[in-house]
Amino acid sequence: MWPARPLMAAYILRRLVGAALVMLAVATLVFFMIRLVPGDPIAAMLADSGSPEAREAMISRLGLDQPVIVQFWKWFTSMLQGDLGASIYGNNQPVTKILAEALPRTMSLAFISFVIALLIAVPAGILSATRKNTATDTVVSLFAFLGLSMPDFWLAILLIIVFAANLQWLPAIGYVPLSEGFWPWLSHLILPSIAIGTGFSAIIARMIRSSMLEVMQADYMRTAASKGLTMRVQMLRHAFPNALIPVVTVIGIAFALLISGAVVVENVFAIKGLGRVLIQGIQNRDYPVVQGAVLVVSAFFVLANLAVDLLYAVIDPRIRYS
Amino acid sequence: MDDKDLMKKAEAELRDAYDYDPRDPLYGLNKNDLRGTKVSRRTTLRLLAAGGALSMAQLLPGLRATPAMAAGHSGGELNCAWAGVGEITTLDPAQIGQVLQFQIASNVYSGLMHIDSSLVAQGDLAESWEVSEDGLEYTIKLREGVTFHNGDAFNADDVEFTFNRSSDPDQSLHSRVIANVAELQKLNDFEVKFVLKQPQASFLTKALERSSGRAMTIVSRGGLETLGLAQYGLTPIGTGPYMVTDHTLGQAVVLEKFANYYDPERPKIDKITIQPVDGVEPLAAAIEAGDIQYIGGNPVPTQLVSRFEENPNLAVDIKPGPGFQSVWINPWHPAMTVSDFNKPVEELKMEPGFMVRLAIAKALDRDLFITQGRFGYGVPAHGTINPAMGFFFDETLAETSEQAFDPEGAKALMAAAGYPDGAGFPDLKLQTTPNTKRDGQVVANILKVVLGITVIVDPKDFSIGIEEFNKMDIDLRLGGSGGDYDPDDGLVDWMQTTSKFNGPDRDTATKPFGFWSEAESDAAIDEQSVTADPAARRELVQKANAITSNKVACGFLYHPVDVLVHATSVIVPEDARIPGLHELDRISLA
Amino acid sequence: MMSYLPVQDLVQPEVAQKKSRMRSVFGRDRKAQVGLFILGFFVLIAVFAPLIAPFDPNEMSLNMMENPSGTHWLGTDDLGRDLLSRVIWGTQISLFVGVSTVTLALVAGVTLGVLAGYYGGWIDTIIMRYIDLQWAFPNFIIAVYLVAVFGTGLLNVIVAISLAFLDDFARIARSMVLTLKEEQYVDAARVQGFSDARIMFRHILPNALAPLIVQATVSVSYAILGEASLSFLGLGVNPNTPTWGLILADGRSFISQAWWLGVYPGLAIMLVVLAINFVGDGLRDALDVRETG
Repeated sequence: MWPARPLMAAYILRRLVGAALVMLAVATLVFFMIRLVPGDPIAAMLADSGSPEAREAMISRLGLDQPVIVQFWKWFTSMLQGDLGASIYGNNQPVTKILAEALPRTMSLAFISFVIALLIAVPAGILSATRKNTATDTVVSLFAFLGLSMPDFWLAILLIIVFAANLQWLPAIGYVPLSEGFWPWLSHLILPSIAIGTGFSAIIARMIRSSMLEVMQADYMRTAASKGLTMRVQMLRHAFPNALIPVVTVIGIAFALLISGAVVVENVFAIKGLGRVLIQGIQNRDYPVVQGAVLVVSAFFVLANLAVDLLYAVIDPRIRYS
Repeated sequence: MDDKDLMKKAEAELRDAYDYDPRDPLYGLNKNDLRGTKVSRRTTLRLLAAGGALSMAQLLPGLRATPAMAAGHSGGELNCAWAGVGEITTLDPAQIGQVLQFQIASNVYSGLMHIDSSLVAQGDLAESWEVSEDGLEYTIKLREGVTFHNGDAFNADDVEFTFNRSSDPDQSLHSRVIANVAELQKLNDFEVKFVLKQPQASFLTKALERSSGRAMTIVSRGGLETLGLAQYGLTPIGTGPYMVTDHTLGQAVVLEKFANYYDPERPKIDKITIQPVDGVEPLAAAIEAGDIQYIGGNPVPTQLVSRFEENPNLAVDIKPGPGFQSVWINPWHPAMTVSDFNKPVEELKMEPGFMVRLAIAKALDRDLFITQGRFGYGVPAHGTINPAMGFFFDETLAETSEQAFDPEGAKALMAAAGYPDGAGFPDLKLQTTPNTKRDGQVVANILKVVLGITVIVDPKDFSIGIEEFNKMDIDLRLGGSGGDYDPDDGLVDWMQTTSKFNGPDRDTATKPFGFWSEAESDAAIDEQSVTADPAARRELVQKANAITSNKVACGFLYHPVDVLVHATSVIVPEDARIPGLHELDRISLA
Repeated sequence: MMSYLPVQDLVQPEVAQKKSRMRSVFGRDRKAQVGLFILGFFVLIAVFAPLIAPFDPNEMSLNMMENPSGTHWLGTDDLGRDLLSRVIWGTQISLFVGVSTVTLALVAGVTLGVLAGYYGGWIDTIIMRYIDLQWAFPNFIIAVYLVAVFGTGLLNVIVAISLAFLDDFARIARSMVLTLKEEQYVDAARVQGFSDARIMFRHILPNALAPLIVQATVSVSYAILGEASLSFLGLGVNPNTPTWGLILADGRSFISQAWWLGVYPGLAIMLVVLAINFVGDGLRDALDVRETG
């Protein structure tokens, strides 16, 4: 069932091509669909100042007066050359620039959220697996469930009230790039990452727990026990790494959750990451920005799922032990 | 000086300001008044008056004896938050469309002129000037030794460049501001001459002004070339007291003192960071924690004001706000149809459509709205003329207007129109923006309680809402205007048949006029626009205002107030308090 | 060689087995019991909301942002509305949204998945290409986009979230159908001349239910969270519909003056989602379903 090594390269290639096709399809779909959304971005931009001449000038400058197919062709061909157009809003920033600035923010947020999630989940998962059905297990599971059930924006608000407004330990909003110092960067990311990471950690913890339990009963564990290794070594050398496999599949879901979670949390903490750029783009009817952001988000998604599939194929123990 | 003396002085100044023959192209001034390095207060007032831009709000600050303020020291750093906005989209004057943007730009660029808070029009990059007898030629001597932030020297070429750029509608949103200029001549490296098509009183004081003027805010040719258009809008280069040293879209604008600014006294503070803060809690948290010490940008959310007032570390300064908000009523809605506003009020009151319209306006419990919706900060409105317009404001209108709050009268009208207690009346949709949703809920509730009708609040993104408003695809809408200092701003922009907001995109076959059209008030508004004598103008203004009120041009709701909040460690002298602006180069730290 | 057995006999034992397993597991599983109890509590509140709520949830007063007290157990919001009544009515709407979106998504997604899995070929290709496209995108963002197109409002939110979530159901249904398609009783049914539709929905589907049920419970909680998030972003229900997400969104600007606005609605969401997760876990154990990625 699993691809043998020599065919691995062909498999990877096929998946990559498939991924690229999906992304192109998504991009095309969104180009037309965003134009389905009612509302006139030009009217909004020129609401107070601006004469009919200014409106005409702006429309032609932004190329919005041409037939949709022509606009699509222009956008498509430019995109293939790496040019995603420019925001039709105020400053006409190039979309690549907007995304290039938003991406590190979402990535930083995702990274720290992931770290926090693991910091909570790994010990929790192992603990509750090894102490299954004891009080510890119950307590840990309960916390996991609570984390899973809490709306991320709710947690975000509570964190702001307690840590930013009342205790004033951490800043309430904003983002500082890493280049300006490690602590400024980190301090702005802690609260939002806790908000996103908590729910995520719950999922991981439960996965670790259930897959460890499975693994601890599996055949190859008994094999290792028969080799005379102690419980602890068994755990660390065999159970845990094998238990990680299903966790890897979760990474695919992780990006979905992180980006969806990021959308709302970025909103609460006023961090201009991918999620926020996308939502604002939709609200402003800023077509090029939405198209570009959709492309990037879907790229992540597709690549993440691809990576998961490949990793799965690589580290499945049945391959190793055969 | 107490209030009465103050008002007397103000009226005397006003009378003098309007004391000229309107046919005189120099408005009763002589050439010497208009030449020199400074335009005196008296002359400035005259010019503003002739240009129809003079208001009480501008007049009063210069007359008040300002309490002696401890002078702050030079240097230091200030952190500001710009409220209610997620990003400072652009600082390129040609593209600036929001007040909060030119609040910042005004500190980064210079114009040829700049009016300070005591209404002395100072030359900014103009050192001295001369106006011809026929009022058509303005010869301006430019200041020498001025440099841009990037080191380029400033001279007449830059004035020409800016002028050409601003005249091109493809490059600038503000070409209309200088539409009256026939040509701009460069006389030598430091002298230019503007030749106008017609005399224009507001030319020196408005068109060449650096903040709201924008058309002649001097931009840097070299900067545009090096940075490109998009980047220039983020980190512009100008000749102003502050340079933008860092700005990523969505992040803070960092301003640093420009060492080579032509006035060595200013700016005082070395570094100013302006962080856009979109959200109420983060704003409150930031200023209460001391992370920021000054709030600019959009108005401070009213629910925070009393809390800030109680905070001993914060200073809160409240001034009457120049603007109005009202409930717009579609006169073509089947249940509220009014096809002819020109009939006398008594006749209109016999039409069911008008009865409903008036009932809605009368049912607006403005005091309740201000208490519940605005936490007590605001003034009930019965017309577009607001308190900041000084003596144009009619205090008696609140009692005499047909629109004055009268629940019994409102109910009676609804019943007479055929909808006793709202029975059988169709549901109405009240369009708001996401930000004014809460206000809409208060209004809808008031209408339900008083009239028994159901009003559904319909928050829409601005881009959709404005489309529907212009096409008149709405029942009711919550909307209004800000930055109105002169009666023209309210009356001409909103209350005339040809006003730009009066349903411009509607189907004129089914809707002959927009939201409102009345011949007598149209005429009065046209006349007041060119009337010099203040007393006569006031009469006309108040006449038009009363008509719009009595015949329900819309259901007027309230006038907002202008609130400035800063830490007590920041010294904001009166001359930094120009309505609507933030003169950051004049504030200092204790 | 196949013996001629009525198809029902082949099908029933599996389903019956599962039903009795559920009963026994639920009987023992404390967590699931607690979940059911909490859920039942909220359902009762939802059903009897008009009777229980002390005030009209939209009734404004001048007692703005009052502390919880004897009259207002959970305090009032910034427009003087009683928070307890709003949360109670919010239960009704939030549960309704959760159940109806999942029902719609289930029906639509399962239909697509079953059709794709059963017929294979180009039907499968077309349907699955679309599902893959949708899968390439976080559900929540799809919901945001759909709301932007359709507009806000309860109905639109329900449709938007259903459409956004149907890819999960489609995939599961299809993979189950692919597996079960080869089972004995399906061949038996075909031999007996039953129509495709009947085979798909009366014979295959009941055995595919287990993972679908588990997914449904997961999706209900995501739907409730999704509606709350949409309302929080201002893209959800109309201002007059007091869903928990909306209450949080409205209260956001007043939190430091009225902490109860930020705590109670969020708590309600958390408890309901928690209960659903407990029950879902119990179901997963009872029906012996592996966690699907």
